[in-house]
Formats: sequence, C-alpha cells, structure tokens
Amino acid sequence: MAHDDIKQSVDAAIIMFLANVNVNEQKADQISLQLASYIQNKSIKLLDIILALKDEMTSDEDSKRQNSLHCLSSILSNIPHDLLLRNEISVIFNFYKSKFDDDILMKFTLDAFNSLIAMKYISINEITTLLTTLKESYDPSKFLAATRFIPFEILQTIYIKDFITKHPNLNDLFIETFIHIATGEKDPKNLLISFKLNKLITTNLKNVTNFKNKLFDILFAYFPITFKPPKNDPYKISNSDLKLALRSALSSSSIFASDVFDNLIDKMSASSPIVKNDTLLTMKSCIENYGGQYIIDSWLPIWTSLKFELIHNSEGSTESTMLNPITNESTTISTTTNSIQTNYQIALNIMKIIANELEKYNHEQFLKFFNHIFEELKPNFTYEKDLKQSCSILASIGSANLITFNTVITNTLPLFLQNTSEIPKLKLLLMNLSFFLDSYVNVFGSTTIITTTAQDEPKIITVPDNKLFEYKDEILMILGMALTGNSKLEVTVRTLSIIQFTKMIKMVGYLTEDEISLIVQYITETILTDSNKNIYYACLEGLKVISEFYENVVFEVSLKKMLDLLPNDASEFIHWNNDEIVPIERILKIILDFTTSRHILVQESIIYLCGKLSIVAKIGSSNDYCFLLLSTLYSLFENNVSLINENDAINIKNAVENDLFNIMINDRPIAEDDHNLSLLSNVLFFISLKIPLKTHQDQLNRYNKIFIDDYKILEKPSRLALPYSKILSGLDKNVQISNVDEIFQAIVALLTDETKMKTTFENIGYLELLMILSNKWLSEDKVIEFFKFDNLSITNLEILTWLGKGLVMKNSKYSKKTLENFIALLSNEDVGVFVSKLFEIFVIDINSLQKFKNITYNNNVKLLYKQKFFSDIFQTLVNSYKSTQEMTIKCNYLTALSLILKHTPSNLVEPFIEDLLPLLLQALEMPNAEVRISSLGTLKDSTEKFHQLITDHVDILVPMLLKLVLPDKFNTINVRLLSLQLLELLTTVVPLNYCENFKQTVIDGLLLPLSDKKRIVRKQCIDTRQAYFELGQIPFE
Amino acid sequence: MSEFINENPDVIDSDELPSRKENITGDLLLSGISNETTLQRKKLLLSIDNSKSKVLQNIELLDKLLLINPPELTSDEESIEESDDEDDAYGNTDPKDVVDTQEIYDLTAHISDPEHPLSLGQLSIVNLPDIEVHDCGDPNKMVEVIIRITPTITHCSLATLIGLGIRVRLERALPPRFRITILLKKGTHNSENQVNKQLNDKERVAAACENEQLLGVVSKMLLTCK
Repeated sequence: MAHDDIKQSVDAAIIMFLANVNVNEQKADQISLQLASYIQNKSIKLLDIILALKDEMTSDEDSKRQNSLHCLSSILSNIPHDLLLRNEISVIFNFYKSKFDDDILMKFTLDAFNSLIAMKYISINEITTLLTTLKESYDPSKFLAATRFIPFEILQTIYIKDFITKHPNLNDLFIETFIHIATGEKDPKNLLISFKLNKLITTNLKNVTNFKNKLFDILFAYFPITFKPPKNDPYKISNSDLKLALRSALSSSSIFASDVFDNLIDKMSASSPIVKNDTLLTMKSCIENYGGQYIIDSWLPIWTSLKFELIHNSEGSTESTMLNPITNESTTISTTTNSIQTNYQIALNIMKIIANELEKYNHEQFLKFFNHIFEELKPNFTYEKDLKQSCSILASIGSANLITFNTVITNTLPLFLQNTSEIPKLKLLLMNLSFFLDSYVNVFGSTTIITTTAQDEPKIITVPDNKLFEYKDEILMILGMALTGNSKLEVTVRTLSIIQFTKMIKMVGYLTEDEISLIVQYITETILTDSNKNIYYACLEGLKVISEFYENVVFEVSLKKMLDLLPNDASEFIHWNNDEIVPIERILKIILDFTTSRHILVQESIIYLCGKLSIVAKIGSSNDYCFLLLSTLYSLFENNVSLINENDAINIKNAVENDLFNIMINDRPIAEDDHNLSLLSNVLFFISLKIPLKTHQDQLNRYNKIFIDDYKILEKPSRLALPYSKILSGLDKNVQISNVDEIFQAIVALLTDETKMKTTFENIGYLELLMILSNKWLSEDKVIEFFKFDNLSITNLEILTWLGKGLVMKNSKYSKKTLENFIALLSNEDVGVFVSKLFEIFVIDINSLQKFKNITYNNNVKLLYKQKFFSDIFQTLVNSYKSTQEMTIKCNYLTALSLILKHTPSNLVEPFIEDLLPLLLQALEMPNAEVRISSLGTLKDSTEKFHQLITDHVDILVPMLLKLVLPDKFNTINVRLLSLQLLELLTTVVPLNYCENFKQTVIDGLLLPLSDKKRIVRKQCIDTRQAYFELGQIPFE
Repeated sequence: MSEFINENPDVIDSDELPSRKENITGDLLLSGISNETTLQRKKLLLSIDNSKSKVLQNIELLDKLLLINPPELTSDEESIEESDDEDDAYGNTDPKDVVDTQEIYDLTAHISDPEHPLSLGQLSIVNLPDIEVHDCGDPNKMVEVIIRITPTITHCSLATLIGLGIRVRLERALPPRFRITILLKKGTHNSENQVNKQLNDKERVAAACENEQLLGVVSKMLLTCK
C-alpha cells in the first residue's frame, strides 16, 4: 500500500516536473531532488521512473521527449555516486547510448553521461565506449555552446578520476576525443576549459608528441586572443582570464617548442602594441617553462625580432629622466615590482630569461648566445650609436645569474669604462654604467634596511665573488673624479656621478664600510659647496638613501661634520677646504632636509643644536643667529613629531633642558627677543608633549616650582609667562593643578592691576595662559561666573576673549551665549572697533594647540570647533549687520566677519556662501586693508567653487576690483595683488560671452597698474592683462 | 639641407637663464603685517626652509597678537589709521622697483620660438646684455627700451615674426610711456635694415595685428610666457 502511495506521488512529481521544466527551473530542480531522495532511500527504483516516463520518451513530439529525458538526467545528477550498482549503470548507460543519435536530446544525454562517469561503479568498458562514441558520433558544430560544454566536462571528470593513468590504453583515445571536441570551439567559457584540458594533456599524458601538431593548432589558432565580455555576462570571464589560460597552455609543454617560437616571432610584426605585449609575455613564459635546451635553435630568430623592438621602438629612460633623482628612483623600483610592464621592459626581460635558461642548461650554449649578441652590439660602443639600448640589453643578460653577470661584466666593461676628461664621453660612461649597476642589484639583491635591534652587530652579508668587484676601485675613482674634478658648471656629469654613487650604496655587499664613508664624504662636500638645484636634490636623495641603511655612518661622517662647522659667532665665516665659504643657512637647510624621519639623525641634531644655541646665546647681539638655530630646532620637532618617541624625548630633555632654561632666563638674545623666546617656548612645548605620560604630574610640579615659586611670574609681570603657558599646553590635561583657581585669580589680578606695567609680549603670555587654563583645568561654570560684559575696559575684554577661546575650542555649552555677548558689543560705539579685531582671536591657529596625530591627551581641541563656531555666529552677525544703518557699526560687523573668514577653511564657509557674498562685496569698500584682503581671499576661493554665483555678480565685482588695483591708502600691495589675481581667475570661470562684455574695460583699467611701483604687482598685472587679451583668441596650431 | 630651419641651435637650459636672484619668494614676504625685524627674520627663514613653514606661521602669529593688543587705546579710529599708516610707510620707504633690463628680459625670454619648442632665451635670441632701458625717473617723461635680437641663423625668415611677438608682448606689458625699439643685432642677418624698418613701423605692426591668423601665431608664442 505504501508502495502504491509512493508510486502515485512519483507520478504526480513527474507531472509536476514536466510542467515546471523550462518554466520554473528552480521548482523543477527541487522536484528532481525529491525524486532522487526517494531512490536513495530505496522507496522506488530508478527503473520505476523510466517506466513512468516511458510514454513521454517515445513520444513523437520533440518537446515531450526532451522534457522527459531532462527529468531523468536531472534525477541522475542528484543521486549519490555510489548508489547505482554496476548492472544498473550499464542498463542506464545503454539506454542513453541509444538516444545518442537523437540530436534534440543531446544536451540531456551528455548530461546523463557526465553524471554516470562520476559514479563509483562505472566500468572501463563504458568509458571506452563513451569516448569512442564522442569521437565518432558526436558533431560539436551541431550544438549550442552550453551543450558543447558538457563533453569537456566529461573529459575533465574522466581525467580527474584517474582513469587514464589506471588504464593506459585509454590514453590515445582520450587525446583524440579531446582534439575532436575542441576543434572549432569559439565560446569563451568552453575555450577556457579546453585550454585547461589541453594543458593537462600535454603535461600529464603519454604519447603527446604524436598529437602535438593538432594540440598546438587548437591552441595557437586563438592567439592573440581578444574577447570583450558582453554586458551582464553570466560567466564573468574576462579577456585576461582567456589570455592567461591560453598562455599557460602554450607554455606548459616543450613539445610545442618547435612550433611556438616561429609563430610568435611572426606575431611580433603586428603593429598593435597590445598584441605585441601578449606575444612578448607568452614568449617569456614559454622560454621560462620549456627550459634552455628548447631555445638553442630558436634564440637567434627571437633575438632578431626583439632587437628591432629594443633598438628602434625603445622607450626606456631618457637622459632627462635619469638626471632627475626622484623619478629615477621610482622607475628603478617599479621595474621589479610593477606588474604592468612596457613592451621594452618585457623584451629586456626575455633576454635575461634566455640567458638564464641557456646558462642553466649548458654553459657552451650560453656563450654562443652571448657572443653572438655581444659581437653584434660591440660596434655600437665604437661608434657611440644606440649605446643606451645596447647597454641595457647586455645588462639584462647579466641580470640572469652569477655566471651570466660575470661574463657580461668581463666582456662589456672594458669597452667603455675608461676615465676620460671629455665631458660628453664621461656623461655617456656614467649613464651606461648605471645599467650594469642595476644588473648587480638584480643578481645579488639590494641592501636591506637593518632593523634597529640588529644595529649593534651589523649583519655581514656576503655576496659571491664576482667580476664587478675587480672594477670597484676604478668605478669609484671615475665617479669621484667626475664629481670633484670637474667645474661646478658641469651639472649633468656631477649629478650623474652622485646618482651612481647612490645606486652603489643600494648594491648589497658591494662596498665596504670605508668606501661608504668615502661616498658620504663626497656627497657631503658637494652638497655643502654647490648651490645648483639638481645637484642639491641628487645629494639630498643620496644622503637620505644612505641614512636609510647606514644611519650611523651618515651621522659620523656627514651630520657631525656639518654640525661641527657651525661657528659660535655668526660673524665667523665657515671655510671649507680653505677656498669656499659655506653659509650657515645652507648647513641648517641641509640638516632640516635630510634628517627627516631618521631617528638618530633627528635626535642628535636636536641635542647638538641646543648645545650650540646655549653657546651662541651667550654672545651679545647674536639674535639672528639664535633665531636661525631656534627655527631649525622648531622645524626638527614639528616635522618629526610622530617619530620622536618617549625615550627620545627623555634623552633630549635630559641633555638640553637645563641649558635651554638657562639661556631663556639669562641670555638677552633669547630672553629679550620676542621671536626667539616664542620659538624656544614652542620647543619646550614639544619636549613636554613627548615625555612619558606618567611623568607629567611630577614635571608639572617641578615647572610650577620654577616659574611660580622661583621666578614669581604670578606676582610681577614676567616674559616667562609664555614659555610657562606653552609647557602647560603640552602636558596631559588629566594632571592635577591643586591651586588652579588661585592661579587664575592671580593672573587676572596681575593683568588688571594698572600699577604693574606690562609689555604686550608679557600680556600675550598671560592671556594665553588664561586660555590654556580655561581649556584644560578650570571648570566651565567657574569661567562663566567670571564673565562680566559690563566692564568694557580693554583688559577685561581681552581676558574674556582669551577665556572664551578656551571654551570655544572645546565646544563648551556656554560658547554660543558668550559669543552672542561679544557680537552685541560690536554695536558699542566705544569698543566696537576693538572688539571686532578680537574676533580673530577665537579662530586664530596657535601651533601648540594644533592636533597632532595619535596625541589626544594634551588639549581639549575639538576637530570641528571652527565649523560650530562659524555656524553659531554667522546668522547673528548677518542679521545684526542688516538691522543697523550706522556705517561705522556695519564696518565692525564686516571686520569681525572677514577676520574670522581669514582663519576658516573655505569648505566650512560653503554652506553660507549665498548669504555671505553680498557682505564680501561690501567689505571690499571698507577702509581697512586687512578686511579687504580677507574678503578678496574668500572671494577667490568662492570663485573657484561657485562659478554660477560669481557669474551672477560679475557686473558689480569687476568695477570694484578695478578700483582696488590702484594704489591707495587701503589698497596695500596684497590688496592690489589679490584683486589682479581674482580678475585673472574670472577669465577661467566666467563664460566667455559674459567676459567679452567687460574685456575692454579690464584691459583699459589695467593700464595704470602696469606702472605700479612694485614689480610683483606689475608682473601679476601683465599676466592678468594677457589673460584678457587672449580671451576668445584661438592659438594657431 | 637646412635651408630655413636651423636644426641644431645651441640651447641653454631654462634653469640657467639669467634671472633675478633674490626675488623668488616675494609674495611670501608680503603676507601679513610686517615690521623690519620680522621682514629680516622672514628672509632668514626662507634661506633654510622654502616651504610655508610652521615657524613662519608662528612668527606671524606672534606679530599679529602683538598688534591686536594696543597697549593704550585712545581713539579706535586713529589707531587703525596709525597701523595702516605704518604699513603704508613701510611701503614708501621700501624703494620703488624700477623697470630694469632684467625685467624686460623676463618678459621676453620665455616667448616660444615659432619653429622650435624652445624659448627665445634658451636659444639666445634675446640676451640680457642686448637690452637697454633709458629711464630718467620722471613719470611724465618717456622711457626708451631698446632690444637687439640675434636670429639663430643669418637668413632666418622668421626674424620678423619673432620681432612682432616681442613687440606685442612688450606693448601689452609696459605702460604707454615706454617707447619700444626692436632691432636685429648688427651683422646677424642678411637683410638687417629691411627687417628693422618693418619691426619699428607703427603702421605695419598695427596692420599685422589685424591679421587674425598672424595674431593666432603670436598668441601661441606668448602662451609660454611666465
């Protein structure tokens, strides 16, 4: 009874399947899975299904036959591989075989075979029969791509299941069948599997040589393959997938060697660089995979075809790129790592690989190859023709391995490595040499960075003895002579010499420590005495590269020497070799430029310069020299903030802080010079920022003792308020200042006490101190409590502004209210003008309050505080501006606004630009140069971004600008310059038909500024005028 | 073979043309409020660090703060004027940059040669020693500018075109009180007098400038001006 039930449900399922097939494939699949599971749990037999389908299968209607067979094949594909027994498989196999001549059913027949092949109990006879049938009775050209795919799958399954190795007599049949089904294939998906099978056959099966021609034909017929995937391509096959599969199949087996090279060389004559690229890469991978013995007969024609590519289509580096140390650097690195290579590079690579493979196979053969090429290129050295290409070819051969390298070096170097005093020859020599130095790096590798831990015991890297060692002294001598023996005017030769020196440093194990020192010495001497830009940068690059690997050598030989050159007294000249004078500034510039991001160099420079500073500062009137030293120190810190770690900071602090404090307090060139004291304070800021966090509390207590207890800066006005505030700014905001309220009160008392005269510098120090306190330690409520806007004394307003800045920077909840109070003061007739200037303080960027990467502990500065600030005040300012009629008051609003804009990034202003623009235009007429400058600056930024908006206002803007370009009390140089720049910018932004309207007006209006007394203004005026002359003018091509 | 094209002229690298040494960073010095010490300091700074360095910002900041805080504020209006007066005074004391031969050279040396992708300066067609400026200093009197150009070869057919290019450039760039005379250097051209006459004939220059195509060629020559 159960059986009957099942039978019924089987019938139902089959009907469902037939109904769903071609309509809802997913559903049909589900049903076939269901049926397969019935078979699996032995509820029914496969035979039952065949019986159930019998009528359909023998139907005259094509679709019925198709669907029924589809049903069966689908079930077959879903049953486990070990379910059907040998005789069952045999019955079904024969059943399908009988359907083989029915083309309509072919897809499902093949599908079923594919399932059967995978079954555990399939017999070898059936496989043989299947292969024979496929070979003899299957005609691929009759079927669609999807159907043609299945035979490939069948073969792949047979291969994977190891039938061929287990039954060697299948071998030939398998190959023949494959050739049969693969011939004439065009579908990319099928080609992909065809190439894959081809590769499996040629690499793993026997007797392939018998079939090599046919196997080769069904590969090379497609070369060079190009395929553009259609949109929404279901298989996601790309052009490069096909290319790579084909390349890998072609290069998989040396049996193709005799055919492949001839054919590839033919393809080299193609004009398309893409085809050439494919050909070259295929050639390369063939040579690599076949090995030396197979290219003995082919290298000559290959060379002939490559020679054309290398010599005539050369695109390698030209003299100018070689001379540029920066680009030269990047190209040498990229040749080894860059995956997208030019044809020129690939061709060179092929030469290298031929050399390598031949040499590995047989040294005699390699020599034959090398001698042929060498003899062919040799005359080029005599006639100085195509030298660059010749050298790069030979150097590529040398790059293969130690033996080829030695052969090349021994033969080639004597051809050109002869010192000469003729500059053009020397230039060629240096450029040619470069290729062989690269070749060394290719064979032996480049110097690797020694990690800091291994520093004490430098790893000796031994490089196998090679022929280039024999030339080392000569090369060093020639380079040295080229650098030092020539006049300073020979920029090219000298630059090349430095570049080659740098390259030699990168050659692993080539130079001894002494020789490296020598090179560092050469470069140091050159950079100190030569002012040419190219040479300077080549030297700088050289020093940077060397410090990457040999920081200690550079420190000892170069940095120390340079630092030692610095005199104690600025009036002393630095003599170099008795005949040259090196300016102090140059030494400092070099130090700044090359120490960046090198630990030892930065730290030692800082310590040394601080030491020097404390000597220099003792000499009176050395302010400017101190200033230079301090600027350098400051920049060293600023540029290397993230490099300097806690240990460095401690080292630096221990070494220099006492001295610095000493000169800060006692020595006039520092203590009484505003700039110097301010810079020194910032240096102290960096030190206190970087020392270990856990020491901050102790340090604070110590500093408090020094400044507050010893020097009593809270009792009488002192210039030391600024350094104190900078140091506090660097410290952790979580350290405790127990008496912060008292300090606050004391500062306020000091500032407001009229009897204690203070200089502006002292004033700023205290005000900044107040800001730091309000930002870091004072409670917000405490600060707000103190705010009294009825006291309009200058001092009180200043105090409020700075305290307010501390709040604004941390986005305090009170900042908006405070700012509104300040805006209200703008309309005050007495203090409005002053308050408008104070607005700048809110947004001014103070260096010690900037955000440093990975440092969040020092100040409460919110990333976007300016954005909040601007949106807080903008609308109020605009409204107040509109509501007043008083011109002076209006002016205050505009001044405040433009001073804020000056320090606000233009992207923050963007959302307000529509409202802002009219104000900016009015600001241009304000009797204040700074307001005009700021407004012009903002207008320039907006012009670049809001083309339409500016175009709308251009009729008002242009006449205003033409007034601003004329000299006037408020039209300072900067106003004139910016106006001219803005006028020029308009020509690129405003559409031509608008520009034409005012073209002549501008050209005439700019006639007077042509006689401006400042050259820089005249220059800009000429450029602007030229831009208007060129409007609408089409340059003749 | 090179009937009209001089194929291998001597070329000077564009970095090595004569140039004004000190004035490369003029605009950097201009920014912000400056007193004499600061200016001096800024110049010092530029000699060790040519980017817009943080030190520079720092100093400007300090100067600004010192200025925002007037020790005594009597009348606001006055104080602004005072500071601006200072600024202006600084501009006045600073000597006027007179138009010199280097300036004329800079205006013309970067014009492209019509047949080489090189500038007139690089080809030594325009040379600094061959420029004369006669200025008596009185803004109401004429200034005489004389340029002698050296064609690359004596039969250079483009000498007139080069001359025209230089003339257009200078007329656009110099105020009207400058009288410009462009001559071929003595003995450098076969038809020297003829060309000289053509180059300095107002009518003929004006006529040439009305020729759209010719103006297009000149436009292209002037594209490379710096």
